[in-house]
Amino acid sequence: MSALIFFFTFALIAVGAAVGMLFSRNAIYAALLLIVNFASVAFLYLSLGAPFIALAQVTVYAGAIMVLFLFVIMLLGAERLPPSQELPWQRPLGIVLAFLLLIEAVYGIVFRVNSAATLSLPVVEFATPAEIGSALFSTYLLPFEITSVLLLVAVVGAIVLTRAEGGARRRALVSQITQAVATEVPEHKAETPEEEKELV
Amino acid sequence: MVPLSYYLMLSAVMFFLGVLGVMLRRNAIIIFMSLELMFNAANLAFVAFALYYHSLSGQIFVFFVMTVAAAEVAVGLALIVAIFRTKHSINVDQLSSLKG
Amino acid sequence: MTAADVYAILPLIVLGGASVVVLLGIAVHRSHSLTLILTLTGLVAAFLLLPLVSIEAPRQVTPLLVIDSYSIFFSGLIIAASFIITVLSYSYLSQQRGHREEFYLFLLLATLGSVVLVASTHFASFFLGLEVLSVSLYTLIAYSRKEYGIEAGVKYLILAGLSSAFLLFGMALVYSELGTMKLAQIPTSLSNPSSGVSQVFVLGGLALIVVGIGFKLALVPFHLWTPDVYQGAPAPVTAFVATISKGAMFALLLRYFTVVNIHNYPSLYLAFVVIAIASMFIGNLLGLLQTKLKRLLAYSSISHLGYLLVAFLASGPLAAVAVAFYLVTYFVTTLGAFGLITIMSNSDRDAEDPEDYRGLFWRKPWIAGSFTAMLLSLAGVPLTAGFVGKFYLVTAGIGSALWLLVIVLVVTSGIGLYYYLRVVVAMFASLPKGSTIAPAMRISPHFTGALAVTILVLLLFWLGIYPTPILRLIESMVTGFS
Repeated sequence: MSALIFFFTFALIAVGAAVGMLFSRNAIYAALLLIVNFASVAFLYLSLGAPFIALAQVTVYAGAIMVLFLFVIMLLGAERLPPSQELPWQRPLGIVLAFLLLIEAVYGIVFRVNSAATLSLPVVEFATPAEIGSALFSTYLLPFEITSVLLLVAVVGAIVLTRAEGGARRRALVSQITQAVATEVPEHKAETPEEEKELV
Repeated sequence: MVPLSYYLMLSAVMFFLGVLGVMLRRNAIIIFMSLELMFNAANLAFVAFALYYHSLSGQIFVFFVMTVAAAEVAVGLALIVAIFRTKHSINVDQLSSLKG
Repeated sequence: MTAADVYAILPLIVLGGASVVVLLGIAVHRSHSLTLILTLTGLVAAFLLLPLVSIEAPRQVTPLLVIDSYSIFFSGLIIAASFIITVLSYSYLSQQRGHREEFYLFLLLATLGSVVLVASTHFASFFLGLEVLSVSLYTLIAYSRKEYGIEAGVKYLILAGLSSAFLLFGMALVYSELGTMKLAQIPTSLSNPSSGVSQVFVLGGLALIVVGIGFKLALVPFHLWTPDVYQGAPAPVTAFVATISKGAMFALLLRYFTVVNIHNYPSLYLAFVVIAIASMFIGNLLGLLQTKLKRLLAYSSISHLGYLLVAFLASGPLAAVAVAFYLVTYFVTTLGAFGLITIMSNSDRDAEDPEDYRGLFWRKPWIAGSFTAMLLSLAGVPLTAGFVGKFYLVTAGIGSALWLLVIVLVVTSGIGLYYYLRVVVAMFASLPKGSTIAPAMRISPHFTGALAVTILVLLLFWLGIYPTPILRLIESMVTGFS
């Protein structure tokens, strides 16, 4: 019974936060609500015998990814979202999708055959960080290496896409940022793209 | 104890909320957050069934998905910053200069 | 992992190692030609290792990858195409300002991701290979950081992210019912009657996986990104998206849905039939409306993937051969077409407007002649590679009595012929007197790009006239994957 209460508490928080994010008019609020959602899902992971994943969820998702989101929102000054004009087909499509969701939820809870299966934590230790680690470095060594390649792509990609060079408008933006960052106005004005990069 | 199907339903609900977000919102950052919500929803199903089947593979897969999400966010937000620099807007309706 | 496992994945290791070498090379000495040489060396080394590895094939390397003759064949095709694209990129980037070297790093890593895809036998390697490919492509598409490129990059990012999420949820549904992510175990878990598997959920999961795959292949109705991304991306990257990204995904589709026998799922089979017919019609009909060449080629590629689905649905050993051969001809032709666009583009924009091509024959007869050959091959005219490829598709379709699909294939090919010929006619039209030549036409092609295109033209006719050797190779390698 207590397990059910635990589940519904965090499930409701997660869904509520997701709905809030969906309709939030403020990007910062949306990001914070998404963090609430991730955190409550992390609690559910703990109840599912996945302590390692739960902590990774908090550190990677809530800690790293969402901080990056907040950083970019504030960098762009895009906190306030203008009331968006909806395309004509969006609302009907949304209603249809929501209806499908409802049908699926009813189907799943009422009619699903093996829904009787319940989850209980195994008696023996399951998915301890040590076990995860040994699986990660034996059976799953290869995909682990592929993720390192993926992170390499991400690191270099992010640098390549955001490095500042060329273009009059971009130069103006760069000098704006430079002035905002530096307390004193830089002694020498940027003449070439390369110098700008150093300034930034 | 909690029936397994509840987890699947929670996961499905969050996934479709993410789909709705992608469909309804016009702000590129919010759309991107909705994508993260969808990834997260799939992860929940994986972890729940990893416990059901007593197999580690579901949890390990979730770990990889998190890495993928981090990589996508890094490059995706870089792109969003780049589009903001050229268009001074991150509204996806303004992405309309490509046409035949 | 044993030493033999490491030996079997040597080509992958070489590709990964080459990207690190390129990265370090850029850090030590930023030189465009040096980076090119390092990249090409890495690709050639990986390619030359394939025959050595194939002695040990087939070999299951951990549950995630299988190195069999099927994956080796497609790895070879991908690496060879990547070689051509790298050479074309050099010709393209020579005219661009700014940092050019990192481009090659992403080409190598995207190639690595594609090679992982064709060898994948597990959801983890499927998803990770796909993401390495996708994330590299986001960067490559927006690499020029001009307005068009970034816009195309953002569109690709959002839609690829959406399709990855669908794919992931599909995998979660399949895992929830079968408790396995290994491809080989899916059929056995399915046929196990005691497990109480709910077919609805497995079918739903497979359908979501098809959505994810269909997006990458740009099949109707998941094709909406294609024209914009083709137009906005730099021409060599468009070539990559059109060939390697789609080819790798199709090889994976064929492997997965041969193991999970698609004929056991009538509704899924029907969905594929509808997708194939819609892709052939939409691709060819909307292609008629396009004036910009890159958008036209986008719709052309949608229809070509529709043709490929005909052989895919035919299944059987002949189908695999037909798919592989058609992919080879599609690669050669598409690379050739985008190669020609590449060598005619300048630093401001890619050559894609109708004015760039009007009367081209009277100014650059070789380029116009090569372009004509490529377009005729795309249309499937005899003596070109495209004709032989299409012939095999039709044979595979008839062999399985897929009459409706074959008829649609033939009819829509006829429609498509019109828009290819329209471009050809424009190239041979005489220039009106006193007209100015579009700026994009004044440049003389870089010799590396010209060399690559010449090779592709020769390949095109060789495949069209004497396809027997390559067919023998395909028959010995592609049939009978587990």
